[in-house]
Amino acid sequence: MKRRTFIAGSLGLLASTALIGSALAQSKPITWWYESADPKQQGYIKSGIIEPFNAEHPDQKLTIDYRGSELDKQMRVALLSGNGPDIVYTAGPTYVAPMARAGQLLALDDYVTRFGWNDRILPVFIEMGKYDGKLYALPKTYETLGLFYNKTLFEKHGWKAPTTIAEIETLADAMLAEKIVPFASGNANWRPANEHYVTIVLNAIAGPENVYKALKGEIPWTAEPFVKAIDTLNSWWQKGYFGPNYFSLSDEQAFAQMATGQAGMMPTGTWQFQRVNTYFPPNNAEAGFVGFPSAEGINGPVYPLGVGSTFSVAATSKNADGAATAIDYIFSDKAYGVMNSVWPGEWNTPLSDLSKVKVDNGLPLYGETMKTLADAVGDNQYGYTTWTFLPPATDSYLVSGIEEVWLGRSTTAQFLEQLNATFLQEKADGKVPAIPAR
Amino acid sequence: MHRLYLVPTLLINVVIIFIPALLTVALAFFRWDGITTPVFIGLQNFQALWNDRVFWTALTNNLIWTGIFLTIPIFMGLLAATLLLIAKRGSMFFQVIYFLPMIIATAILARVWQGMIFSPVSGVNGMLQRMGFPTVDPLTQPSTALLGIATVDLWHWWGFLCVIFFAALRQVPQEQIEFARLEGVSFWKTMRYVLIPAIWPTITLMMIMTVIWSFLVFDFVYILTQGGPAFSSEVLSTLAYRSAFYDLAVGKAAAVAVVISLFGLVATAFYIRAQAKEFHQ
Repeated sequence: MKRRTFIAGSLGLLASTALIGSALAQSKPITWWYESADPKQQGYIKSGIIEPFNAEHPDQKLTIDYRGSELDKQMRVALLSGNGPDIVYTAGPTYVAPMARAGQLLALDDYVTRFGWNDRILPVFIEMGKYDGKLYALPKTYETLGLFYNKTLFEKHGWKAPTTIAEIETLADAMLAEKIVPFASGNANWRPANEHYVTIVLNAIAGPENVYKALKGEIPWTAEPFVKAIDTLNSWWQKGYFGPNYFSLSDEQAFAQMATGQAGMMPTGTWQFQRVNTYFPPNNAEAGFVGFPSAEGINGPVYPLGVGSTFSVAATSKNADGAATAIDYIFSDKAYGVMNSVWPGEWNTPLSDLSKVKVDNGLPLYGETMKTLADAVGDNQYGYTTWTFLPPATDSYLVSGIEEVWLGRSTTAQFLEQLNATFLQEKADGKVPAIPAR
Repeated sequence: MHRLYLVPTLLINVVIIFIPALLTVALAFFRWDGITTPVFIGLQNFQALWNDRVFWTALTNNLIWTGIFLTIPIFMGLLAATLLLIAKRGSMFFQVIYFLPMIIATAILARVWQGMIFSPVSGVNGMLQRMGFPTVDPLTQPSTALLGIATVDLWHWWGFLCVIFFAALRQVPQEQIEFARLEGVSFWKTMRYVLIPAIWPTITLMMIMTVIWSFLVFDFVYILTQGGPAFSSEVLSTLAYRSAFYDLAVGKAAAVAVVISLFGLVATAFYIRAQAKEFHQ
């Protein structure tokens, strides 16, 4: 090849590469690691969030990477080495405190003022994401526990949805007599389902005020209200309310049992709404949902608050502005309407005003429940879920410890004793997440 | 000069195995949540383990597991291998059948047993219950949970031993077996005086490996019961896993790992001594 042609050719190649390079560099990348989503759900995220966001912000390029159920472990390692994504998606406030303490997360207070998050998001959730007075995380979904029931089955037997603890026990006894399992439940695929029931009794029987005091360290977990709560839960177990196959059934199988009428009620979380349309219509049944009734003297029903996952921005992010803008988009009314219409229960961002949001997912019960929940939270009528507000080792012990009580290998006193000891140890280590003032 | 050929493998070994192992041993003396900086606390992790009843339950379960796996699968494997040796026709077919569970991913095997066999709703167990037999799901009772998991792992594991022993048996000199047959020696006496002594080194090796692997057992336990119900099927590795990734207590997990390694080391020491003795004979 002639020398001149060669030089001209390579210069041309360089020039075109530079042009392409600068064209790509126009849009700044924002990386987001997500947990798991099946292909249909990945499509919803793409059409509901990524594409509209990129269209609205041509100078940004949001990309998502599905890391599977091991996301939190990969995140921990990545952030330690400084190579994490821009949008840090964690499994809850328990993980935020140690990350914030280690300086891995960016303080978001400037963005709060810029985007007006204090007005649009329920204040209690802003408080939950704070560490040392600065905001580090926003919750992506919030969930609560309540009581699903088979409305059709209830009508057939002339039963009414319970409003007090006494009513729920009478109902359960009546169901046992009819050979119907009172509480559809199963932990075969998710052992931590145990803590759903502990959360319910701690809030409905011991009361959220007492739980708050224990979380702040003002009273021990061995105090009388908690003894009463765990004893009640144990009595329900011993009477057979949870059915004979608790350790063999998955939660989906348990839900199906309620839809077919083999079980009557299911104390569980709002994430089960995604199953209603799969199981109830084919069984010609209608689903109902009420808050779990509370004991005398407690203003109920109490809605224990849980945070499913949180959004933060990595401290080492090269595009913190872009990441915050993307997070702000996810918290918009438009994104709420779109995502909750196709994927109820997973994208329930804690917006304070749901009146202008349009959700159309064939589940009017879900919309009503979420509005009731948002109002209850606004009125301070909320409780505490163990997986959001307890530090990690305490929460993990709770799951196995309650099994020991149920199976007679430990007493309520021993269980609460060890729970308290573990909690105090972790409190001393600074591992308890932020508890908003009531 | 020829020693330089060792360098590449040695390098990989040092970087991937030796250094992380040293780090784990070191971490056993620190308190670390996996995110902030580690804090030196001396022997506190080991003291905490000594006082932790779940640790003792887990250790006992590992010892029970070792006991089960040192006897049942080895006996089954030897018996089947000897039968395969005698019945030459079809030995290839049976070898494949016995070995098949070994190839299937443990996660799938565990779910198959959990959902298609043990489940009182969708499994064989459920079918038996509906027919009137008072069977229970072993994974749901504290007294049988570990045995239920061991059953699944036994089904998965014994075929491997069978194939190994069969390969060893085929090395036994034909004359010895012929001689025993001609002398009219019974089947059991042939096994006891000819076959087993002939493959004794293989059997010892498999027993030592069983001891080491019994202290490492994790997958089936974690997938089937996560150590439950009520810690009854907890083993050392599930305890370490939970401490490291759920309790955010990496130092404690490292301490458990050190305990596991100590048992493995003891077993290895026995094996090397036995080997050395045999070598000198």
